Amino acid sequence: MTQRLKTSGYHLAMGLVSFLWIAPILWVVVISFRSFDDVAANGLGSLPHSFTFSTYKSAWQDADEFRALINSLVVTIPAVVLSLGFASMAAYGLARYNVPFRRTVLLLMLMGNLLPPQILLIPISRFVELTGYFDTLIALIAVHVGFGLGFYTFVLHGFMRDLPREIQEAATIDGAGPGKIYASVILPLTRPALAALGALSFTWIFNDLLWSITVIRSGEKMPVTPALLGLQGQFVSSWNVIAAGTVIAAVPTLAVFLRFQKHFVSGLAIGAVK
Amino acid sequence: MTGLAADRRTFLKGLGVLGAAALVPGCATSTPSGSGASAATGELALQSSLSSEQTKAALAKMIDAYNKTGGKVKVNTVAVEIYRTQLPTYLASANPPDVYTWYAGSVANSYAKKDLLLDVSSVWDTMKNYPQAMQNLSTSDSGQKIFVPTNYYWWGVYYRKSNFAKWGVKPPTTWAEFLQVCETIQSKGIPPIGIGTGGTPWVASAWFDYLNIRINGAPFHRRLLAGEERFDDPKVKAVFSKWQEVLPYFDPKGKSIPFQEATSVLLAGRSGMFLIGAFVADSAPKDAADDIDFFQFPIIDPEVPVAEEAPIDGYFASKRAKDPEAVKKFLTWVATAEAQELYVRNSTGTVIPANPDGKSADTPLVRKGKAMVESAKELTQFFNRDSSDALQPTADAALIKFMDKPDQVDQILKDWQAAAGKVFKA
Repeated sequence: MTQRLKTSGYHLAMGLVSFLWIAPILWVVVISFRSFDDVAANGLGSLPHSFTFSTYKSAWQDADEFRALINSLVVTIPAVVLSLGFASMAAYGLARYNVPFRRTVLLLMLMGNLLPPQILLIPISRFVELTGYFDTLIALIAVHVGFGLGFYTFVLHGFMRDLPREIQEAATIDGAGPGKIYASVILPLTRPALAALGALSFTWIFNDLLWSITVIRSGEKMPVTPALLGLQGQFVSSWNVIAAGTVIAAVPTLAVFLRFQKHFVSGLAIGAVK
Repeated sequence: MTGLAADRRTFLKGLGVLGAAALVPGCATSTPSGSGASAATGELALQSSLSSEQTKAALAKMIDAYNKTGGKVKVNTVAVEIYRTQLPTYLASANPPDVYTWYAGSVANSYAKKDLLLDVSSVWDTMKNYPQAMQNLSTSDSGQKIFVPTNYYWWGVYYRKSNFAKWGVKPPTTWAEFLQVCETIQSKGIPPIGIGTGGTPWVASAWFDYLNIRINGAPFHRRLLAGEERFDDPKVKAVFSKWQEVLPYFDPKGKSIPFQEATSVLLAGRSGMFLIGAFVADSAPKDAADDIDFFQFPIIDPEVPVAEEAPIDGYFASKRAKDPEAVKKFLTWVATAEAQELYVRNSTGTVIPANPDGKSADTPLVRKGKAMVESAKELTQFFNRDSSDALQPTADAALIKFMDKPDQVDQILKDWQAAAGKVFKA
């Protein structure tokens, strides 16, 4: 009897917590289907009095969301691939070989991560301008790769360090050089960690707003996050259209998350057990 | 921590490989593409903050018309809140856009002081019919014309005609009548004065601005915002004493909602009146649009020359524009009544052309707003436009605190002066 009470109490409480968690998202979805007149007359908080799909159409057209999404993907995919590629190489070297000063390098990378990125806003915008890459997507990719590298290396280092030493020794005896060992032995074994980090970094880079507005000036090169902001007027904002745009912009990250969900959860424990 | 020992040579070789890998993305794109792109094509780059649907479309129509006359202007629209923070970067960058949409008055002047703006005095030779107030707001401290105004809007106390009729009140003209109206509306169980300072604390500055220009006059207001008077002056305290008289009539929920929500509250009849800009009418649903009206902020001291808040929008240009003559040609064109009418017709319904010969939208609301601004002896814009975006947060902090704890006004004003002093010294 008490057991049943406990179980139902648990489910009730957890249900409530999950509802609290999902409520803002639900709210945005509900708003995205309301008409402008409904929102203006009844306020954002009221129950819907209308139902329309036109918000999605105008978000797609006015914010030029298709182009913005393409920009986002053009930035995100290379940034994820490059940063994970470099980070795995660095982690491989640092974890599997007695590279001089490897602890210092690792600590330096970790230190960089503890600094708030905002303090680098002005140096980066000046640097990007001086090198002539201001207002290009390449600059944005470079910034994301640079910022991700430290953390990814740190996480991958922890993972690679724990791989059994015998595997590598066996490969060495079979005549594999460091490059071969990296590509054919270590990298395949690191797949779960790479998948988890990939999903995480995809979300981070895709959702970034700060760097895109720092390095990019042209409207047509803006990724999806600033494009959504562009739907907001100075005084009059169609919140329903903004909500619809937000829902659309959430689709890619959601798709990536669902695809890598399994690794995502297991990946959270990466480096937790030493 | 037991890796295999790498001898020095392997390590160095590895370093070399890494270095080469780092170079690859650099090589693939060794031609950095400039952003303005105007130098080669002779195109003017217009950086625009008009990001909302209607204003963006209106600007596009205007630019199309200009480009048909042989001009070459390329618009780049940036969301207004990003624009606000990035504008100094745009102006100071190595390859700045040529023309910018922004505000007249001290905001433009602050960029002129840093020697970032193009002298457009020759454009003003074609703008003799513009009122003196706009001329003053477009002139820098050093006497150069740096700004071309294209349109403006007005502020007022907005209400729904049907609700006023229902409650049996008439739009007041004096402070005493205003208090009477508040009293009547409150007796019907409705909060008389709506406000929305949650997330948009700057709307409280409208009250400060209006009370100050009604009690102490526009010249004092301007001097105060320029740092030449003090916020702990007894004259400023008088503003707050007056405010205290109406404070009990403010909607208590106003603290927790942004002004857009406060607009909905007004439209739904859950507040009586709302001191806000003309843009309020743009966010009203169609069936309510005809029911919205406004009255001039009540006169407090008849001796003080009447001033109104009329924020002026327009263009300025970068000092380092690649083709200053083309910029001036474009600005001369946007100053014409024809160009401004084209913009105003396609934009939101509540902006008025800056050129006195330009026709505004022919609605009763706009006619009334235009008449009010034209009859005003003095014009102010708005707190941040008359001072700076840096001073605005000091006002927000002081005014919000005052609305919460009106009895601490002396301390609040002292703090405000201290905070403002820092901004002026910076």
